[in-house]
Amino acid sequence: MESMKQETVQDSAIPHTPRVGVYICRCGGNISDVVDTDHVAEICRLIPGVAVSKVHTFMCSDPGQQTISDDIRQEKLDRVVVASCSPFLHELTFRGAVMRSKMNPYLYEHVNIREQCSWAHKHDPRGATAKAIQLISAAVGKLSHSTPLEKIRLPNHRRAMVVGGGPAGMKVAADLAACGIPVVLVERSDRLGGKLPILNRLFPNGQAATELAAKLESQVLSNPKIEVLLKSEVTTVSGFIGNFEVAIHGDFGPSGHATDIHTTVGVIVMATGFKPYVPTDGEFNFKRHPAVVTTVDFNALLSKQKGDARTFQFDGRCIRSIAFIHCVGSRQVDGVHTPAVDGRINTYCSRVCCTTVLNQALQVRQRFPDTRVYDLHQDIRTYGRGHEEYYTDASRAGVVFYRYHGQEPPEVTNTNGPTSPLRISVKDYLSWGEELEIEADMVVLAVGMTPGPCETLVDQLKLPRGEDRFLQEIHPKLRPVEISVNGVLLAGTSQAPMNIQETLAAAGAAAVKARAMFTTEEVELNPYVAEVDAHLCEGSGACLTQCEYDGALAMVEILQDGHTVRKAHVNAGLCVGCGACVAVCPTQAINVSGWRIDQYDAMVDGLVRDLTPTTI
Amino acid sequence: MLSDNKFNPKILVLATEACAYPGADAVGKAHLEYGANVYVFRVPSPVLFPEDFYLRCYAKGIDGILIAACGSDCPYRGAYDRLAAHIDSLTTRMKAGGLEIQRIRLTAICTVCIKAYLKEVGQLDEQLRALGPVNQSVAGQLQHLARARMRDQSQMSAA
Repeated sequence: MESMKQETVQDSAIPHTPRVGVYICRCGGNISDVVDTDHVAEICRLIPGVAVSKVHTFMCSDPGQQTISDDIRQEKLDRVVVASCSPFLHELTFRGAVMRSKMNPYLYEHVNIREQCSWAHKHDPRGATAKAIQLISAAVGKLSHSTPLEKIRLPNHRRAMVVGGGPAGMKVAADLAACGIPVVLVERSDRLGGKLPILNRLFPNGQAATELAAKLESQVLSNPKIEVLLKSEVTTVSGFIGNFEVAIHGDFGPSGHATDIHTTVGVIVMATGFKPYVPTDGEFNFKRHPAVVTTVDFNALLSKQKGDARTFQFDGRCIRSIAFIHCVGSRQVDGVHTPAVDGRINTYCSRVCCTTVLNQALQVRQRFPDTRVYDLHQDIRTYGRGHEEYYTDASRAGVVFYRYHGQEPPEVTNTNGPTSPLRISVKDYLSWGEELEIEADMVVLAVGMTPGPCETLVDQLKLPRGEDRFLQEIHPKLRPVEISVNGVLLAGTSQAPMNIQETLAAAGAAAVKARAMFTTEEVELNPYVAEVDAHLCEGSGACLTQCEYDGALAMVEILQDGHTVRKAHVNAGLCVGCGACVAVCPTQAINVSGWRIDQYDAMVDGLVRDLTPTTI
Repeated sequence: MLSDNKFNPKILVLATEACAYPGADAVGKAHLEYGANVYVFRVPSPVLFPEDFYLRCYAKGIDGILIAACGSDCPYRGAYDRLAAHIDSLTTRMKAGGLEIQRIRLTAICTVCIKAYLKEVGQLDEQLRALGPVNQSVAGQLQHLARARMRDQSQMSAA
């Protein structure tokens, strides 16, 4: 009896006589210029099970989709195949079309005869036409083994996790909590605020960074919907939209000892921020002379200046001249700059450093009129509203500008001389490329941004990064705060260098997107998970040895014909549908729904089926 | 153009949904060409195919199979290593059973790996033309053996 059952599975004969509608798209010539679509339709009419076979110029158009709907009704179709472009473009379009005609969307098959046929076999129209026919025949074969499937519905946990307690994280948490969404805010340091405290006066309005930090912090701390976890880090994360399982390790809890919290959240917002670029030893004489500092250091020095001295003070000395060098760790040039340990150089522009330099230079000139300021730049990119004024004002305040080329960065050396301790050699292109030497008491390096630490989440959730190593959005314009992992959002400089204004705008957008994900009580997932045919399962447990996902698969005892028997059982919420279990089942009792082995067998049968008209 | 009587191998590409399938799309988008005897099936991960599936393909007249996986970019835990182990075992059995192992190829193709894709299908096509048509009856016998072996192993471990 067992062997008989097994035979049924292996036999690819059609178990049900379906009525399939086949639709071939010309794609306005993209397909039909190569593939003889009329001939394809004619031949496909002869495939067993095909009730309707038609050609349309644009199947994805409204009239194209209407043809399918009309035929489902009039011709009583119960399966549909569209042969057109790649399924990544229009599979969902046609699933939607058949669904609107009350057909189960998983009884639809998409055949790719554009990217993988007409475009790839332009000079072999006969071959391409024959291939299109066999691919459609394979899809019809698969459909004869398809059964209606239902989307998996799982609870949507109405709680968000925000990773990072900087300005972006605080803004997301505050905005989400204001909409009534509970938030857990995870911050690895012992305070909120992120990099805000290292900033001094914020452009473009000169507001003190501490003031902004305090405002955002009070919004967060005053809202009981936000749980703030300081000195904590996410250690493990798994799951999917509506159902992320997270473990957080930190110093919370009454005992004050490090403990772990396990929680479920529906949405994760990455507000992991940036790290300022740290110059390498000797880069522009950094660490070789104490008066070579970064713009981050200089912010701190600016706020520490006391009294009403007419000259900037550093290390107990009067600083009579300061040279700012732009683009340190940004816009690096292959072959000129030394790559980091991972072999990369930062070719991108960090965007905020130009205005930062001018903001700092202007403050020096206004507060310390006896300190001269030199500005060495490749370009001045003061792109934001109110930013260009810093350039104009700095020029008026007597800042002296030099322009260098990226391939010929300035060189900084120690003079050890009695007048100025540092000398900068630069080839200046505001003149005719004159080689100049500038003596300075201090050099400030305008450091760019590099991605903040987020490896755990990146590795475990498989978040994509761009070439610049920042997190990569789905689309820079259409979906700018979403990432390809559904339910994960980006806020602020985890995504790219941004100034405070842009960071908070991005964070606001992420909060709204996150809020929108909680509009339904359940999340819907494709039903492509493992399924067990209880009649075929003999309880060997072979599948269990292959499963990498805790709880996705288990052996359960059930009562069958008065006996207790062991059978495999799938937890659809935890199964990812990889199919590792399928390959080892001795009785082929386990399969991935929608991608069953018997469906693939039927596809192969369809592929090799002889469809020359004379043989049918 | 091929003359009708010249052997034209049937090549099946099992392409992962996350990497190789969009990779194959990218070839067409770039308007680069390969033989119309190459057919691509989309799969979540080829780890799901039992050994006998491949042998059944040969038994039905597929001359060569290219498994175009994601490699280290595989979205499923451990799937690529398990797949590689399946194919290792499959090639051992093919060799022992008298089926040319050049008929199966495992490779990683990324979403933009246009050149790698063309190279893989090109080389497989060349090899298959040199080998000639697959011996379907040998493949059929091996397929039954593979399935029977799986059942036996399971019964042994159960006992």
